[in-house]
Amino acid sequence: MGFEIKRFQGDVDEELICPICSGVLEDPLQAPACEHAFCRACITEWISRQPTCPVDRQAVTASQLRPVPRILRNLLSRLCTSCDNAPHGCNAVLKLDSLPSHLVECEFNPKRPMPCEAGCGLVIPKDELAEHNCVRELRALIATQQGKLTDYQQELAEQRLIINEHKRELALLKEFMRAMRVSNPTMRALAEQMEREEVVRWAGSLARARVTRWGGMISTPDDVLQMMIKRSLSESGCPPHIIDDLMENCHERRWPPGLSSLETRQNNRRLYEKYVCKRVPGKQAVLVLQCDNTHVDEHMMVEPGLVMIFAHGIE
Amino acid sequence: MANIAAKRIKREFKEVMKSEEVAGGAIKLELLDNSWTELQGEIAGPPDTPYEGGTFLLEIKVPETYPFNPPKIRFMTKIWHPNVSSVTGAICLDILKDQWAAALTLRTVLLSIQALLSAAEPNDPQDAVVAKQYKENPTLFALTARHWTHAYAGGPAAIRDFDAKVQRLLDMGVDEHQARVALSTYDWELERATEQLFNREE
Repeated sequence: MGFEIKRFQGDVDEELICPICSGVLEDPLQAPACEHAFCRACITEWISRQPTCPVDRQAVTASQLRPVPRILRNLLSRLCTSCDNAPHGCNAVLKLDSLPSHLVECEFNPKRPMPCEAGCGLVIPKDELAEHNCVRELRALIATQQGKLTDYQQELAEQRLIINEHKRELALLKEFMRAMRVSNPTMRALAEQMEREEVVRWAGSLARARVTRWGGMISTPDDVLQMMIKRSLSESGCPPHIIDDLMENCHERRWPPGLSSLETRQNNRRLYEKYVCKRVPGKQAVLVLQCDNTHVDEHMMVEPGLVMIFAHGIE
Repeated sequence: MANIAAKRIKREFKEVMKSEEVAGGAIKLELLDNSWTELQGEIAGPPDTPYEGGTFLLEIKVPETYPFNPPKIRFMTKIWHPNVSSVTGAICLDILKDQWAAALTLRTVLLSIQALLSAAEPNDPQDAVVAKQYKENPTLFALTARHWTHAYAGGPAAIRDFDAKVQRLLDMGVDEHQARVALSTYDWELERATEQLFNREE
């Protein structure tokens, strides 16, 4: 809706008046053929009711409206107007095109956000500052937060219930599958094949890793370190049926004869380079999977693969 | 009332007041309340029509959605015209309905209504009885309209024969306006008008 004509200094030419709101054109658009100009808000509202030009009733749609010519925009921007906050004491007289930037910083804006100086830390509109009561506002804030908390707790409880149901169903399904596997050899073969393929698929999705310093190997990682690695494996999509076995194989007590002690490791050092290693995403650790390393001697490999954790030196 | 409607009406009111039509006495506009929602318009009957010499009052109600919707206008002065209801004063004029355009103003609307008095549209009637007479007996229509202008709009005295017939019915105890409506409807045939008036009461 256009600017109140009374706000302008001197006479405003009739051509700069919106025929709908009778104010000075604000953000004007014009009809394509007849070139009648209106405030954007006014003509949009009118066209939503009736797709015609409000002056001569020629058919016009919203998408046909065009910005007005530069000369009209220039004439408008040169008009001198008082500030929106004149009733609140602002005496500024501005060119219409500098009004928006003035409004942002006008100190007389009654709605200007001001920080409360009493210490509650809230930012409030200037005109509400006098009425502002820190305790009341903060209490209201606490009440809304409390409400949210209750909502979230409720949601959490519901989600838990759903998860438990899913768990029960999953257990039932697993039991069912196990029974099928035991009673039917074809099923067993099928299931094993599927598991193997899943491992191969996962192995294919991981990036190759290069170990630059085999000496940095941690052969007896502690529980915290193991949990970290396990988590990363799980996030990378490690098939659940091998994850526990893999993690068991991150400690020298489960490693194959060729790696089981510092001495054997020293002796077999040259064989390390044969390993095809895969990255454990984001960690200083590598996976040496059986399916990637069928070429490696048996005394250097175990099912389903090895996890080797390093202090540093992984690329 | 929405800001834009009040703003527009204030400006239009000034526009009408400054216009040459007001200066020439062709139209008038008066404010009835401070919220700019109710006004009273006045138009002079155009020359060379049966309405010449009459002054017709109009009720103007400005909706909150003005100027996106037209003002609601009806004749408060009774008038005999094919496009105005002789009963309610409702006006059948396209710009007050689907042909309304936001750039129209109270001034242009009042002038359009005045123009409607000069050029009736009997094929798009608001009052079927009047329209029928207009088409079938234009001379009688003009006389009737002139008579109504005299009776209700302060127009010059006109047809003595009509006045006498109204008086006859008045003497029988019929309400003056009812008598005039009945006579106008039955092409000033006293017998048919009387019959209709008294049959209805039985």
